[in-house]
Amino acid sequence: MGDIQDSHIALGVLGVSHKTASVEIRELVSLNEEEQKGIIKKITEDFDVNGIEVQGILILSTCNRTEFYISAEKPDIILPALKQMLATYKKCPYYTDGNITYEKFGSDAVSHFYNVICGIDSQIVGEMQITGQVKDCYNFAHHLDATDAVLNKLYNFGMQVKKKVRNETFLSDGTVSVSFAGVELARKIFGDLADKRILLVGAGKTAELAAVHFLENNVKAINVANRTLSKAEELAKKFGGKAFTLGELNTALEETDIVISATSSDNYVITNSMMKEIIRKKYYESIFLIDLAIPRDIDPKIEDLNNVYLYNLDDLNGIVEQNLEKRRMEIPKASKIVEEYLDEFKSWVSTNSMATIIGKLKSHFEKLHHNEMNRMRKQFPENGYQKELDNYTQNVINKLVRQHMKSLKKNAGDPEKYKQHIDLIYNLYEIDLDK
Amino acid sequence: MKVASQTLSYLLPILYLAVIYIYYIIFTGKKKSWTHKTTLFLGILLIIHGIDIGLRHAVLKSIPLSTIHDALSFLAFSILFVYMIIELRLKIRGSGIFILFFAFILELISSFNLSWEVETNELLTSPTFALHASLSIMGYTAMSLSTLYAIMYIIQNHNLKKRNLGKLFNQLPALSFLEKMSIQSAFIGIILLGIGLLLGHIQAEAIMGEFWPNDMKVIATDIVWALYLTGYIIAQYLRLHGKKMAYLSIAGYFILVVGGFMIVYLTETFHEFN
Repeated sequence: MGDIQDSHIALGVLGVSHKTASVEIRELVSLNEEEQKGIIKKITEDFDVNGIEVQGILILSTCNRTEFYISAEKPDIILPALKQMLATYKKCPYYTDGNITYEKFGSDAVSHFYNVICGIDSQIVGEMQITGQVKDCYNFAHHLDATDAVLNKLYNFGMQVKKKVRNETFLSDGTVSVSFAGVELARKIFGDLADKRILLVGAGKTAELAAVHFLENNVKAINVANRTLSKAEELAKKFGGKAFTLGELNTALEETDIVISATSSDNYVITNSMMKEIIRKKYYESIFLIDLAIPRDIDPKIEDLNNVYLYNLDDLNGIVEQNLEKRRMEIPKASKIVEEYLDEFKSWVSTNSMATIIGKLKSHFEKLHHNEMNRMRKQFPENGYQKELDNYTQNVINKLVRQHMKSLKKNAGDPEKYKQHIDLIYNLYEIDLDK
Repeated sequence: MKVASQTLSYLLPILYLAVIYIYYIIFTGKKKSWTHKTTLFLGILLIIHGIDIGLRHAVLKSIPLSTIHDALSFLAFSILFVYMIIELRLKIRGSGIFILFFAFILELISSFNLSWEVETNELLTSPTFALHASLSIMGYTAMSLSTLYAIMYIIQNHNLKKRNLGKLFNQLPALSFLEKMSIQSAFIGIILLGIGLLLGHIQAEAIMGEFWPNDMKVIATDIVWALYLTGYIIAQYLRLHGKKMAYLSIAGYFILVVGGFMIVYLTETFHEFN
C-alpha cells in the first residue's frame, strides 16, 4: 500500500523563486491578497482544461517566492493553462517564461512543499518566517473553500515536517544576522540583558539599527554619544536614554556595559588608555564593545585588557558565516525527515486521495460491468442491443462515480467526514485497499 | 543485601558513563532531540546512587561516611544532586559533561576501594557525627562546584577572547552565570564546611574534653578553611571579577583539597577515616 507511482499523486506546483528570478521579477509576479482571492475564485469556479477541473489550490506569495500548488487529476495539463491565465490576469509575461518559472509534479511537488515549509529551500537556510507565511496562505485558501483533501493532508504533514526538523536538527539554530550576532555575543557574556546599559557611539543609522535588537531584549538604557550633541539628543530621545558629546565619552563609558560604535571618525574614538581607566573605575566589571565602523573606532589593543571583549564587523560577519555553514550541514538530516514524510504522504495518497478512490471505484464498476456484459452475451448471443446496453450501463457507472466524487468533494474540508465516506465506499463495494 | 550493594557499587561507574555519554551527545550537537532527556536520566542515576548509599547504610549498620572512599562516593552524589537542581532551574545543560565527569572520577575511585565490613565504632552512629560528616562533604561539594564553574569561566573567557565560537562556546553558559555560580557555590561551601568543622570540634570536646585537639589534621583543616574564608572576604572587598576571581577560586580549592589529602596521608592523626 505504501508505494505509489508519482503520477498517482494528483499535485503540481508552478513557481517563481529567488533561485530562478531576480527581486525585480519576483516583485512583478507576486500577488496581493485581492489578486490571490480573484485567482482562487476564477480557478475553482470556471477553470476547466479539456474536462479536467482543479480540485484545490494554494497560493504562496512572499518576497522570495510566488508558488501555486494545484490539486487536480492531471496537473501536467492544468499548469500550462494556468500560466497563460496568470500572464493575462497579471499582465505579466514572466509567468510563461520557462527560464523563470518551474514546475514540479507528484512526489517532487510534495517534497518541494516540505523543503519550503522547513526552510531548506529558503534564501537564508533554516529561516522560519516561511512557516508562518505557509500557514497564512493555507488558512486563506481554506477559508475560501479552495483546499481539497490532498492539499489539507499536504499541509498537515508539512506542519509535522517543520516541527520535527526544528526539534531534531539544528537547521534553524544560530543567528544569521550581523546585528543579532552582537546580541547573541552579549548574552554569552552577560546572560540576561535586562539590567544592561548600552552606549551608542555615533548617531547614524548603523548604530541605531544595531541598537534596535538590544531594545527588543529590554535592556535597561540606551544612551547616545555623538560629536554633535543635537543629533545625540534626537536619537537618545527615541530610545528614552541620555545624550553625551564625544568629549563626555569617559563619563558615558563608566555607566555602560555594552558599547556599539559606528562613527565616521578617521581616528580611534575609544583608545587603549581611555579603556584602561574606565575598566579600573568599573572595578573590572565586564564590558562588551562592538565596533561597526570602517575605519575602526576602537583601538584593537584594548582586547588585551581583562574583562574587555571587543568584536568588529569582520568578527560578526565571521559568526554569521559560521552559523550559515552549520545550518547548511544540517540539510541532509532535514532532507531525511522530508523523505520520511514524503513516504507517509504517498502512503496516505494510495488509500485516501480522491483520485485514487475514484480510480479504484471506477475499476471496480468497470469490472462488474465487464463481467455482467460477458454473462449477458453468453445468455443472449443474438441480442441486437448489446452496444446500446453497453453505453447505457457505462453512463450509469459514470453517474454513480460522479455522485461519489461530488460527495467526497463536499467533505474534503472535514477530514473526519472525508474518512467516513472513504470507509463507506471501501466497505460497501468491498474494494481491496492493497490492490 | 551485601551482594546487591557490591553489585550496585561496581555498576555505578558504568551508569555514570552512560549518562555522561548522553551529555556528550548533546554537547557535540549530534542529537538535538536528546536535549530534554538529560534531567530524566540524571534523576534516575541519582536515585540509583541514593539506593546504593542506602544499601551500604544497611550493610555497614551505620552512615557510610567512615572511610575516605565512602566520603568520595557521597561527594559525587551531592555534586550530582546540586547540579541537577541547577539544571532544573536554569535549563542549561552545557556544563553537565564537565560536572558529571568530575563526579564520575570520584565515584570510580570510590567504587573499587570500598569495604563491606560491619562498622563497630559507636562514634559513627552519633547524630552529631552524621551532621559533621555530611555538612563537611556538602561544603566540599559546593567548593568543588565553585571550582568547576571557575574552570568553565576561564574556558569560556578564552573562547570569547580568541573567537573560538564553536560547539564548546555554544554549550557553555554565559560568563556572568559561571562567575555568579562560582562565587555563590564558594560562599555556600564556606558556610557548610564551617558548620561541619564546628560540629567536629563540639564532638571532639564531648569525646576528648578538648575543643581544639592537638591534631595536625584538625589544625591544618581549620587553617586552610580560614585561609579560604579570608581569600573570599578579601576578593569580595576588592570587588575582584572575572579571571582573577576564577583563578583565586581554583587556587583556594587546590590548597583545600590537595592540602587536605596530603595531611590525611602524610601525617599521623587521631582523625582517621577508618
